Order: sequence, then structure tokens, then C-alpha cells
Amino acid sequence: MKKLAANGIKPHDAEMKADGRKFSLMEKLLLGLTLDQYVQQVIRNKFNWLLALIFVVGIPLIIYRFIFGLGVVTHSSYDYPWGLFLGFGLFCMVPLSASGFMLGTTVEIFGRHDFEPIERLALLNGLLGYFFAVVYLLVDLGQPWRLAYPMVYSFGPAAVLFLVGWHVATYLSVQVAEVSTAFFEWIGFRRGYEFIRKGTIGLTVSGIILSTLHQGALGALFVYAPGKVHPLWYSASFQWIHFFVSSIPAGLCMVICVSTVVIYTMKWRCDQRFIDSLDRITISLAKGASMGLFTYLFIKLLAVAHDNEWAYLATGWGAWWLFEMFFGVILALIVLGVGIHHKSVALCRLGALITVLGILLNRLNTALIAFNWNLYPEIPHIFEVIISITIFAIYVTTYRFILNRLPILYQFKSRAEA
Amino acid sequence: MVNTGKKFMAGLAGLFICCLLMMNCYAMESYPEEIEIDVLSELYQGVVFDHGWHVMMTEGCAVCHHHTTGTPVVDSYCAKCHADEKPMATVSCQDCHSSEPVTAGSVREKDAFLFHDDKPDLKAAYHLSCLGCHQEMGAPVGCQDCHARTEAGDAFFRAGQFAPTGSADSSGY
Amino acid sequence: MSKITRRKFLAGSMAGGAAIAMAPTKKAFGANLEGFPDGMGVLVDMTRCVGCRSCEAACNKEQNLPEPDKSFDDYSVFDERPHGHYRRPTEKAYTVVNRYDPVDEQPVYRKIQCNHCNEPACLTSCFVNAYTKTPEGAVIYNDKVCVGCRNCMIACPFGIPAYSYSSAINPIIKKCIFCYDTRLKNGQTPACVEACPQQVMVFGKRKELIKIAHDRIRRSPVKYVDQVYGEKEVGGTGWLYLSGVPFQEAGFNISLPSEPIINNVKDFLAIVPMVLAIWPALFTGFHLLATKGKSHGHGDDHSHDGQEEH
Repeated sequence: MKKLAANGIKPHDAEMKADGRKFSLMEKLLLGLTLDQYVQQVIRNKFNWLLALIFVVGIPLIIYRFIFGLGVVTHSSYDYPWGLFLGFGLFCMVPLSASGFMLGTTVEIFGRHDFEPIERLALLNGLLGYFFAVVYLLVDLGQPWRLAYPMVYSFGPAAVLFLVGWHVATYLSVQVAEVSTAFFEWIGFRRGYEFIRKGTIGLTVSGIILSTLHQGALGALFVYAPGKVHPLWYSASFQWIHFFVSSIPAGLCMVICVSTVVIYTMKWRCDQRFIDSLDRITISLAKGASMGLFTYLFIKLLAVAHDNEWAYLATGWGAWWLFEMFFGVILALIVLGVGIHHKSVALCRLGALITVLGILLNRLNTALIAFNWNLYPEIPHIFEVIISITIFAIYVTTYRFILNRLPILYQFKSRAEA
Repeated sequence: MVNTGKKFMAGLAGLFICCLLMMNCYAMESYPEEIEIDVLSELYQGVVFDHGWHVMMTEGCAVCHHHTTGTPVVDSYCAKCHADEKPMATVSCQDCHSSEPVTAGSVREKDAFLFHDDKPDLKAAYHLSCLGCHQEMGAPVGCQDCHARTEAGDAFFRAGQFAPTGSADSSGY
Repeated sequence: MSKITRRKFLAGSMAGGAAIAMAPTKKAFGANLEGFPDGMGVLVDMTRCVGCRSCEAACNKEQNLPEPDKSFDDYSVFDERPHGHYRRPTEKAYTVVNRYDPVDEQPVYRKIQCNHCNEPACLTSCFVNAYTKTPEGAVIYNDKVCVGCRNCMIACPFGIPAYSYSSAINPIIKKCIFCYDTRLKNGQTPACVEACPQQVMVFGKRKELIKIAHDRIRRSPVKYVDQVYGEKEVGGTGWLYLSGVPFQEAGFNISLPSEPIINNVKDFLAIVPMVLAIWPALFTGFHLLATKGKSHGHGDDHSHDGQEEH
């Protein structure tokens, strides 16, 4: 794309071409390039080669899993019924996608339109994160074709997972509606755009409700397993608050990380408004994240005090727990704090990365590493790892495909503006 | 009563020793030398129980027969009621222990005031009595040490000609 | 608040949480803490068990389970330590017997199977209501609705449910169902209980079994540890254990709470209706306050550096 830009070719970003004709759908899909130009820039990009390599190995494995069952790609553990697909795919992707409701709340509910340039990126990040969490879930479920059973066929309304299922499904629809405004603009369906915009406040408030409950519910799922989850990661009273509160910095920092990747690798797609405001927004997001992290640190310690688990800190598991807290929370707080104080965008971005890694570590600890702490450690099957990476690669590809096209990072120029 | 000679002599010797050891075993004047236990045989063949030899080896009838033979009971708990019992009309295990499986409370349904409401069924009475002592004495405790398994038993235990072929997937953990 | 009320209340709140009014609360919510009054159970007296594995063989036959890896008279299984631990029930064996060797004691054999909890964690964690606690006391499973999330395996405090991972088309949970279909519902003794030569197990009404268990302890206080495992654990279980050695020496988890597992989740479940009731008004209020006097339109650029999020 850089080379094309140097040659004076601009990507598609408006309803009309310079000569006043409308772009056709095919032209929109090809970013306004000719097919030849498009294919060449795809091949030129080394990252696409990496993705292709992952797909060549991973996609056959996914097909293999569906033909021969979970047993051939996992260790079929009875003691670890949830492996990487859920431990990473569900429990990590969902908090990292809390960005949608966070920025939605900020912009739409609190009227902070200064965050607007990044709102759509945050919404898209939320939508894709949830969508791919569901994809991971489909790979993990024994009978994925029955996914809709808890909605339509057989109800277990006292189960936490019932709430997770319903809320993720509803929230996914809410997010589709929220992101659809960008799609309607792009496709040129003005009335659909206006219809959804009218319902924004309602959608955003339902997003907050659903997010509060299901982010918390993911934590509450582990409350079913006292004794299996190590006491330091377990808290009957606070587990849901831990998961909910930590999803706030996780979502915000994920947006910082994604916007960083975007500004370094896809600058051609960002409009001036996005580029100009990103530094300011990054620091503001970092402030929000550090507040969330601070609260999280406090309630984590509160839980240890509440259940009087200080003695566990002197054990090996305690050291691991302290590492998670010092690396993922305290170090992240320090880096973010210094970054905010000195208005250093780079430090804020580093802090955001540490935060994201810290939350990942927390979720993996709860779901896999400190789960069955008094049994034996489960090392995931190599195929399980490859499939997890492959789905993540599909996620990245989809993410990029949409960012390249829909007016997420740029403002779509309507007929009048063009 | 096939093999009379040696067994008979052993039995006589046992009787003599027992009489010497326990002078109060006055109810022992007659008892079967051998008992064929086959009421439950299905997976296993019946057992020919060398009663005489066991009489010789044990301290008294009460070890197995509780108070029914009229000898003093071994267990002091039982002695609270059965300290001074006369020999009963029947002393065989199956006269008291049901050959039907016992469920909790089922015996009390017939007799609300029944004291012995936790009485083992016949199969358990045999095994608890035999195996308990065999374990203590270091005597054989394997199933087939006492009774040979039938073909139905081999099928049940997936052993012998019914042993696993190993063709099945052997993961499972 | 009585148990049954609480369960219904929670179920109702969750149904509301799903933003639907149509979810019927099905029959699974009938069980209260004491279980069904005439629920059946089994008392397992481990002092009697000699590790003959007849119960394992009987279970295999009764439930038409696949061929075992080793014959049921092969006692080398007692030395197996998959993943460094004792054997547990699998998709091919709903019950297993393990041998434990307490210091300075005779070996102890322990039969493991589903304990058929009064208030089962598997049941309360299942989002399609695949589990049912029957009035007879069995915790049974409906493989026709199971989605395969395996939350029940996470939730079971005894590590009982296994999963037929090897099946691609119809993988299901595999666990002891108390011989419900073939025996229990006709009032018959489960196959393993019937097969036991030592009457290690007594089948009967749970409340009778508790009396018998305590009678045995009182009758032989030296022989038994003064505890009936399962009387109180996680709200009580249908299967009860007597032991001659401290229970932890026979591999029992003695750190289980006496409350049902669902009680741990109630803190969270209680906030669900709160959030549903309070959040809409709260955040709409925030919205009105925050945007008062400002343009509601988009594209207006407030370029001042924002403070933190709320």
C-alpha cells in the first residue's frame, strides 16, 4: 500500500469517485484498486505469507477435528475439560473485547465526543472479539450444532453458563447493530444508518448491562469449582467482580494495542482526524485503564484478605500469583502512570501491552494453570495449540479485512463531502 | 463324603483337640465334616467347605455361628443379650441369612422392632466370615483360591477366553 | 428463606437476566436441600471391601460399556497411576476401585462412582438442563440435549463425569446413573451393589442408611472413623461412605464445604436482577446529566484533554 500511495493511488474512502460516479461493490471490495494492483499488494505483504502458512497447517487440522472429534486434537482430559479453546479463546478474548461497551459508554452516554475517532475501532474490536470467542467455543463444544439449544430448546436458567450464553448472544447482536452503521455507510444504505443511529442510546445501555453481567459471569463460572481453582485465584464472593473490573483495563488497553498496530502498519487507511487525535486519545484511554487497574489491584488484595489466604503467598503458587500481580498489574500501573505523567504515548502503549498480557495471564491461570492445582499440570496437545493460533489468525485476517474497507479508521465521505 | 479316610482321621483329631482346648464346647457332639456351598453358584462353582478342618482350627463355634450353637459368644457386645444361650434348632448360615439381596430397612418392614436390622445377606455372611478370618490368618484370599470360576464368570470378569483383545482404543484418561 | 424458594428465585432472576420471559423453570428445580424424602442411596462400608473388582465388572455388563483395557480380575490396575494419580471413572468405566496404602495399616479399597448429590453441582451448572435428580435419588443425564460444554465436569466436586471425546458425531457425558433405567426406577438394587460378595454396599433409603451408618459406628467405635462421608458434604450425597482410616488417607477430598456448590454462586446470581433493574435508569440518568446543554450531534470536536473514565 505504501508503494501504491507513492504512485499517487488513493484507497477508496467515499461514496463517489472523483468523476462523480458511484463505486461499485467490487471496486469497494478491492479498495478502489484494480484487481491486478490488489493482488500484487497482497503478495508483497510478508505478513500475508505468515498468515497463509498458518492457514495451510491449521485449517486442515480444524477440519480434522470436526471429522474425528475432539479426541484427536486434544488430550481428551476428564480433569481438564476446558483447554486452550476456552481457556484462551473464550476467557481471554471476551475481556479483551470489553472495549466496545467502554467506549460506547464514554462517547454515547457520557457525551465525550472527543473519543469519537476511536469509538468505531473499539466497537469493532468488541464485535470481532466476541464473534471469535464464539468461534473458539464452536470448535470446543462437543456438539456445536446444538449451540442454540439453551436459547430455543432446553433451558437451564439457574446455570451461570445459561446467562453467559444468552448475554453473549444478545450482546453480539447489539454489537452487530452498533457496527452496522459503518457497514451501512460503506454499502450506501443511508436509511439503515439513520435507523440504527436513533437507537444508539438504547443499544449502548443494553451493552453496559449485558457486559457487566457476562464479564462477571465468566468469573462466576469458576465459582462452581472450589478446591479445583487455587484459592488465590478463587473467591466465591469476588470472582465476578474481579473478572468484570479487570475487563475494563483489558478492553481499553486492547484498543490502545490495536490502534498502535494500526497506526504503524495501516497508516494509509487512517484519516487525518484519527491520526491527529490518536496520541491524545491513547493517553486518555491509559488514564481510564490505570484507574481500572488500580481498582482491580485493590479488590484482588481484598479477596485474599477476605478469605484470609495470606499463608498461600509463601508457597510456590503464591510466588506465581505475586508474579502475575507484580507483572500484570503493578508494573503495568507504573509504566502507565509514568507514561501519563510525562505524556509519553510510547510508555502508555507499552503499559497497555503489559496490561493485556497480565490479563491474559490471569485468565489462563484461572482456567488452566492454577486449575486442578492439586492434581497434575495439563500441557495442551500440539494440535490444540495450532488450532488456537489458526483461529486467532483468522481473527486477525477478518479484523484487517474490515479495517481496510469499512469506515472505521476514517470518516466516509458522503456524496456532499466528495 | 467321598474321601473318608484321611479327612475322617483329621476330623477326629480336630474334635479331640477342640475338646481339649475348649472344655465348654458341649454342643459339638455332631457336625458335618464337609459342607457344599452352592446355593449362590453362578459365576463360580460351588465350594466344598472343609468344615471339620475349620472346626479344628478355630477357637470355638461362636467365631462363625454367633450364639446359635450354644457356646459362649466371642463378641462382648453380643454377650449383652446372648450370654447364656441354648443350642438352636438350626445353626446353618442360610437359616438366618437371606439368600435374597438385603436392602436397608427391608427387614424392618416385616418387624418394626427387629434388633438385627443390619444383617448381611447370605453371600455376604459367607464372604465376610471366611475372608475376614483368612485375611487375619494369612490364608488364601483370592476369589479363585476358594471357588473355581465358571464360563459365565469368565465372561463377567472379561477374563480367560473373554480377555480384552486390546483392539479397543486404550486411551481413556 | 427455604431452599426451594431460593432456587426458584434464582432461576427466575436468571431467566429475567436473559431478557426473556419464556424460559420455563422445568422440573429439575424440585429438589431441596434434604433431597427427595424417599430418595435412595447406597452405604459403602470400606472396611469390608477386599478389592475384588466384581462391582466394576457388574457395571460394565449392566451398562453395556466397551471392553476394558484389562480383565476385571487383573489387580495390577491398583498400581496404575494415570497422570501420577489414582484411577478415576472414565467414559469406559462408570465405577473404579482403588487401593490405598495407609501407613502401618492394611490396604484400604475405595469404590468411586457418582455420589448422586442431593443438590448436584453438575445439574445446577448445566445450561440446557440435561441433568435431573429423580425422586428415586439418581442423578441422570439426557444426552439428547447436551451441547457438550463440559461445565458439569468443571463443577463436579468429585471429578465424576467423563466425556466421550473420541466420538465426532455424538460425544456425550458418561457417568454412573445409579442403574436408573434398568433397575432403580423399578425399585431394584444397582448392579454393583448386587454383585458385591462382601456386601460392602447396602442399598436403601438415604435416611435409613444414615441411621445404619451411625449404628455401625456406635457398635464398633474402634473399627470406624466417626464420620459418614457424604452425610454433609456439598449438601449431602446419596452415596455414603464408612471408613476405618481417616478419609483423606483413602483419597477423599475432606476440604469440601458442607453447603451445596450452588451456594457459592449465589452471590453472583443475586446481583443479576439488581444490574438489570438499576443499570438502565442509572446510565440513562448519567447520559442526561453528562450531555445536558451539549449538542447531541456527532462530529463536534471537544478537543480538551479528557479526564479519566468514570
